[in-house]
Amino acid sequence: MEVMSWLSRLNPRGPGTRTGRHAAPTSPCTADPETCLMVFENHWRQVSRVLKQRESSVGGYADDLTAVRNHTDQMLCLLAEERPAGGDIDSPVGPILKMVVAENILDELVQWHVRRGLDPDSQLELLKLFEMLIGQSHQPLLLHSAVLQPLLNLLGACVDPQLGSPPALESSLVLLLNQVCVCMAKETAVLELIFRCGLVQQGPTNLLIFSLLVPFIHRDGSLGQQARDALLLVMATSASNHSVARHIAENSYFCPVLATGLSALYSSLPRKIEVRGDDWHALRREDWMAVSSLVLFMNSLEFCNAVVQVAHPLVRCQLLDYLHNGFLVPVMGPALHKSSVDEMIASTAYLDLFLRSITETSLLKTFLRFILLHRHDNDTILDTLLTRISSNSRLCMVSLSLFKTLLSLNCEDLMLQLVLRYLLPCTHVMLSQRRAVRETDLYGKSADKFLSLIPECCRITPAPSSERDDEPAFWGKGKPVSDTFMDNSPTSESPVHPRPSTPSRLALFIRQQSSGGQAIPPSSGSENAPSSPRGSVSSPLSPDSPVHQLPDTSEGETGYLEYLRDARKGIELCSWACRDWSAPYDGENPSPNSAPPPPPPPTSHPSLNMVQEHFSIMDRPQQRGCLESESQRLSPVPALTETSTVPCDSRGPESVERLIEELLERAPSEPLTGDSKCQGISIEAFHQELRELEERVRERRVLSRSSEESSREYRTAPTPSLTDEDCLPVEIEQRSSETKPESYATGVFSPARPLGPPLAQPYTGPFITVLFSKLESMMQNSLYVNILLTGVVFQLACYPQPLLRSFLLNTNMVFQPSVKSLIQVLGSVKNRIEAFAATHEDFPAMLRKARRFLVARGKLDWSDSPIGVPTLRRSDSLIKSRKPSLGDLILRHTNSPTRARHAAQLALAHVRDGGQSLHSALFRGGAAGGASGLEKQAEALRVKNAVYCAVIFSEFLKELAALAQEHSVALPFPPSQGAEE
Amino acid sequence: MVYERSDGEEQGGPGEQRSSPAHPPFGKKQLPSIPKNAVPITKAASPASSTESANGTHASYGPFYLEYSLLAEFTLVIKQRLPGIYVQPSYRSTLMWFGVIFIRHGLYQDGVFKFTVYIPDNFPDGDCPRVIFDTPVFHPLVDSVSGELDVRRAFTKWRRNHNHIWQVLMYARTIFYKINTMDPLNPEAVVLYDKDFQLFKSKVVDSVKLCNSHLFDQPKIDDPFAISFSPWNPAVHEEAKDKMFAYKRLHSDPLLTAPHNQRWAEDYNKGPLVSGLSWVKPGSTQPFSKEDIPLQT
Repeated sequence: MEVMSWLSRLNPRGPGTRTGRHAAPTSPCTADPETCLMVFENHWRQVSRVLKQRESSVGGYADDLTAVRNHTDQMLCLLAEERPAGGDIDSPVGPILKMVVAENILDELVQWHVRRGLDPDSQLELLKLFEMLIGQSHQPLLLHSAVLQPLLNLLGACVDPQLGSPPALESSLVLLLNQVCVCMAKETAVLELIFRCGLVQQGPTNLLIFSLLVPFIHRDGSLGQQARDALLLVMATSASNHSVARHIAENSYFCPVLATGLSALYSSLPRKIEVRGDDWHALRREDWMAVSSLVLFMNSLEFCNAVVQVAHPLVRCQLLDYLHNGFLVPVMGPALHKSSVDEMIASTAYLDLFLRSITETSLLKTFLRFILLHRHDNDTILDTLLTRISSNSRLCMVSLSLFKTLLSLNCEDLMLQLVLRYLLPCTHVMLSQRRAVRETDLYGKSADKFLSLIPECCRITPAPSSERDDEPAFWGKGKPVSDTFMDNSPTSESPVHPRPSTPSRLALFIRQQSSGGQAIPPSSGSENAPSSPRGSVSSPLSPDSPVHQLPDTSEGETGYLEYLRDARKGIELCSWACRDWSAPYDGENPSPNSAPPPPPPPTSHPSLNMVQEHFSIMDRPQQRGCLESESQRLSPVPALTETSTVPCDSRGPESVERLIEELLERAPSEPLTGDSKCQGISIEAFHQELRELEERVRERRVLSRSSEESSREYRTAPTPSLTDEDCLPVEIEQRSSETKPESYATGVFSPARPLGPPLAQPYTGPFITVLFSKLESMMQNSLYVNILLTGVVFQLACYPQPLLRSFLLNTNMVFQPSVKSLIQVLGSVKNRIEAFAATHEDFPAMLRKARRFLVARGKLDWSDSPIGVPTLRRSDSLIKSRKPSLGDLILRHTNSPTRARHAAQLALAHVRDGGQSLHSALFRGGAAGGASGLEKQAEALRVKNAVYCAVIFSEFLKELAALAQEHSVALPFPPSQGAEE
Repeated sequence: MVYERSDGEEQGGPGEQRSSPAHPPFGKKQLPSIPKNAVPITKAASPASSTESANGTHASYGPFYLEYSLLAEFTLVIKQRLPGIYVQPSYRSTLMWFGVIFIRHGLYQDGVFKFTVYIPDNFPDGDCPRVIFDTPVFHPLVDSVSGELDVRRAFTKWRRNHNHIWQVLMYARTIFYKINTMDPLNPEAVVLYDKDFQLFKSKVVDSVKLCNSHLFDQPKIDDPFAISFSPWNPAVHEEAKDKMFAYKRLHSDPLLTAPHNQRWAEDYNKGPLVSGLSWVKPGSTQPFSKEDIPLQT
């Protein structure tokens, strides 16, 4: 069993935790059992003498205590070292244990201590003794209530109901509890026993072990980790025990503490993410490993994920409810709606990181539900996030990255809300064209159309003789056709080629993905699978495939075969992941007539008009100044500085007090009593607060449920507006881009126009609208925005659903006049690029430079610098699969991140600096802003963006063409059997 | 009819199920390619014609269009699940497909006819594909010498978008069930059919026997993907057969047995692929409409 295997790996205790005193008396135990028993009896005689004495007189002598301690040490060591009696199968209990049970020795000892009055020193001693006993014993001691009961008594005595556990005892206490939980996981019967013992004694808080651990959930460091591991063990052990699960759900504060604790931790996250590098757009593991508050949060989120994975459904449901109503709605919601751009960037990046880190489907569902259905100020979270795509550079990039993550989930509900519901009524196509929705492009017509949009100026031109050497050989050009056919080798199952020799547009971008802070890297062996962030197929190309031996296309004209391969992978991955969707979305099922009319376009979108559309020139100098400031230079990695965090108390954000404070901040109520600084918290007050909070959450849950439902009703209410275009005379408008060149000229530098056509027109939804308008302004977008943007469109175009596929990729479809098609948008970009190239003499040279930079940038990612690759790979391998085993979850923390982090920082700095300096070297002319300063800089930036745009645009068209071709040869996947859960 | 059921059993399997196990499977969408030293059957002169079809914009992409058109046609064949017909493109050229038809009832019952499809290199703008039986079958529409089937009568002009190769295959099957005697390629057969049906029938039986007796012959065209038959050998075939039938029993959809699905199913079991994220109730278009009943505490 898996559980057992990792338990064996779970070292019961660190080697350093054992004190010398305990180690000393082990030698006699090597003797035979009878001798040991005699020694034990001898010690016990001495102790009982003291114990009996004590019964008559009150008050104690220090001598007594010392004597009892010494003897107890010896006795417990003997007990711990004892082996179960061999041979005797009926009672494999060793003689010492037999005696301990028969005479109830441990209970008498603990009773004596308790009666005598436990000073902190004795408490610590006893906790350590028990911890040693349980951790080292060769027999399942806890199965005997003669051991378990005194243990519970001791715990009860150590932990003051008012004050919680004294800080000095914390580490010993948690370690002991951890040991108990490990035993529990090995011997499930122990759980039952603890539970029953508790029932007799502690009333409602009968799972004492459990309740004691809960306050440590969000602690940082090893203490918190031990507590979380222990709790996880309880969760796993109790997964099949309904009564224990019930108890956890009903009588413990586990779920509320866990969920609301996330809220507290979230509020201590940096509100502003300061980064170096134009291309930063998502939090990668290397990024957040350096920020302690984020590490703390991620630990807790990861723990939530693990609990959801292993816990009883009862506990899981409760936790998910609390996460939704105690964290997402009250904290994430407002955070995403903060008005400052910095905070928007931070919260969006956090949400993206969270989504990438979650692996459990039901937890993912909770997040998606929140994003899709929860309304904050009348807008769904999704709506809000959508509008951010049209904003200025960094926020746009972070938002695009989030949507990339969302699209990679291949979730029907999401796609329905995002795109499909707008296409379902089929009002975007001419009535006569509806049947064409399902048609596939058999003869490459669409592909041809896309390729024909590659601007003339971007086609390969013979370079001046000096540069000819590194001029790429365009595949097939100048080669006989038979040769190009040979570039296709038979496929095989052989391992993936370590790195593609021809960086495609995706390869240029791989850095962002492969080193992303993803909890879910592509499965091993496919780190270079660019288009499949969540796993990948085995590569269709063998290592010695001629494709990889194509002439080095070092200057950017990349192999079309690579694009075909990527497209195939992307489509297969996507169709596979969508095979259990409820409908094919082919224009017939669901029926266009029964589909509820989608929400109309917003009449005015203040938030859209407000935000800057273009890569701003004005904030560049500021940024640059910021970049060159001394402090920034010192930290080579995108530095997340903890600005404006909530003030911390003396014990830092990790303490339970902080948590409580946070809870109180949000929900005003009686201030906490007791001196939190030195005494720890009052468990009772803590419970009181949580009770109240629980109530509030419950109320809110009811409220939010009902509001979600009403809004859903509202959305289905509007009257259908189908009649309009159904009656329209079928005029097939020539929509080829060449027909309206004048509109591009005016459109080039125009500010953001209101998105979306007027009401009652067919509307393809805000996502398509915002993506298309961003595509239209490609020339002004920064390079990195364009890379991300085209990546998102690529991913969207991988979806096999005919409605979506035909809308994006079927260039023969005739849409309603008011519906803008992708090919139209691309046509306008093409014209702008050509217009630009016509006015710039040195365009070909600039284009070559830009290509060379991009290729070099792509190659940097593959360079195995001795430090770079191993560390990055290591951080990936730590989190290998979507369903990490419980053991992985726990063991992951035992690897100190510090070294990996340092190495990663170094590696990253190397890559980044390399990239940056290369970049500035290429565009030295523009960057050296001389006399006329700003204006010159602005022009340089404009030129730079335009040239990069030309490169990306051409590659993007090839990508789309490849997608169109691959869709025509794709086979559907049948639904998986028994997918219904 | 007695054989209808077995029709259903047999249908839909992609070609390689019948092919020799030694051959690499023709996976989905993979271009069968040309070994280094093999001479491609594709005429080198073809680009001119294929570029023409591609508006002349990107001559260099022309070959891709042709390859993908043929692959798309092949995909359509798989999707059609033609009963008793198996085809497989050649290893050397996608313009040549190997096929076999199993006739399960009627005059030609028990016939197993191997054939080759030749697709013009200016597909889909050229003539219709040619179908040539390895052994000339005795049939009014099959040339008694060359074995060529009269395809043209059914596809007088090959129209892109309307005509597909699966229709040709379907036609090649139909002729054995519905005999047409108009304008025959084999006049002798027609005369017998009209005048001496009994003799016609016995000739057909002889022809079927003849064809079947050549079943285990080496393929006429030496190609790694050519369809070859071998006598039943439990050591080789038993396991594969059991697997196939076990799969059929488990899964009603033949697509499940398709190699691409099996490959993904394997990957899925191995790997961390998330899949099937959907909480939409079938028939609904509302997100999260498939609500599981929340457990009440």
